[in-house]
Amino acid sequence: LCSFFFSSWMPQAVLFRGSHWQSSLLAFRASLPMRAQPKKKKKVDVKREQAQKDRMRKKIKKLEKAAPEMIPIEDFITPLKYSDSNRVRSLPPLSFEETERRVLLLKKWCLFKQKQDNAEKKAIQSLVEAQQEALKELRLESEELYQAAIRRDEELFPFERDGPNYTPPLPGYDPPEGKCVDITKVYTQ
Amino acid sequence: TAAAPRPWRLFGAMCLLRLPRITQPLEKEEEEMAALMEQIELEKSHYSDHEIRKLEEEERLKRRKESIYDDDEAASKTVIMAQDLEDQWEQKLLRFKPAPRITDADKNNNRTSLDRKLDRNLMLLVKQKVGNQELWLLPQAEWQPGETLRRTAERAMATFLGDHIQAKILGNAPYGIYKYKFPRAIRTDDNMGAKVFFFKAFLQSSDLSQAEVKEDYLWVTKDELGDYLKAEYLKKVNRFLLD
Repeated sequence: LCSFFFSSWMPQAVLFRGSHWQSSLLAFRASLPMRAQPKKKKKVDVKREQAQKDRMRKKIKKLEKAAPEMIPIEDFITPLKYSDSNRVRSLPPLSFEETERRVLLLKKWCLFKQKQDNAEKKAIQSLVEAQQEALKELRLESEELYQAAIRRDEELFPFERDGPNYTPPLPGYDPPEGKCVDITKVYTQ
Repeated sequence: TAAAPRPWRLFGAMCLLRLPRITQPLEKEEEEMAALMEQIELEKSHYSDHEIRKLEEEERLKRRKESIYDDDEAASKTVIMAQDLEDQWEQKLLRFKPAPRITDADKNNNRTSLDRKLDRNLMLLVKQKVGNQELWLLPQAEWQPGETLRRTAERAMATFLGDHIQAKILGNAPYGIYKYKFPRAIRTDDNMGAKVFFFKAFLQSSDLSQAEVKEDYLWVTKDELGDYLKAEYLKKVNRFLLD
């Protein structure tokens, strides 16, 4: 606050401080190095600190009791930039022949899939029947072997296998170098 | 009370399958349906960033061609256009040569190789001496008391392909049975015939170069089994083979 007054006075009046404790002329003149108050008693300090800690703990408990925030599913939220109107594709409307062709193709597909499904079910049925017959014959032979056969095989699962690709692996193929940085957002509750 | 010894001899046989390594070609309906699905997806979709960029650049080119004097956009010209990028990608794809789906073994019809018919299951067949005949069979071995039938089948596999074969046997239970009576000449009251129990396994190791195969062997698909197996045997084996 003293800087205003310095500039309004005549520049020749150089002002000295009385002592290093008197930092500004117009401020309170503290001739003695004064401390605020005689030192607080330790009990009040401790009580106040404990009260503060309790309040913090209550706040934390309240926050914890509140229901956990739902983790947003990124796939279900369409980013706003994709709802622009200039994004909409402009295509000619479908002709009558095209719709007809599509409907007929869907019906053919339905029939194809039904036949495929039935064939699969029949194959599985025949598999199961063959196995039952084999077990029946085995039982006739020896009970001990039968019991050994119907025991569960613990090493079978978990069973892992890489599925077939479109082309077989190229011998001596050197894949290009590169680093894959995973930027998926991980939410914690 | 000990059970009376049954007059049937027991054998354990192993049907070792090499699973397909490439996908089977699509049927006509499947291809048509796939094309239709792609078309519908395209129609229902919106423009992507790349497509918008391409459209804008095409418009800019058109405008520049129409108004030849309007060259103020030349300063802020993009160095690479979306169309150029697409051409680059196309070139890169054409330069890559994948391995052929139909291998040499297919062309030579080399039935002993595992590289044939990569999109189908292959089964192992071996030539074995049964009685006084040499027959093509799934590898089998006679059951010995004290072991389970699965162990017998594993033993059969090991005798023909060596010990270092990695196969995942699908469970302890047999998948099928082939029962036959011996010809009258050898048949006795204690020894009427044989029962062969089949087990299924998937071949895990991809190359069998270390396997020393002693007898004649073949890897065949389900359709080609008919060329080698006898009618009754084939009928029973076909019941538990999916293809």
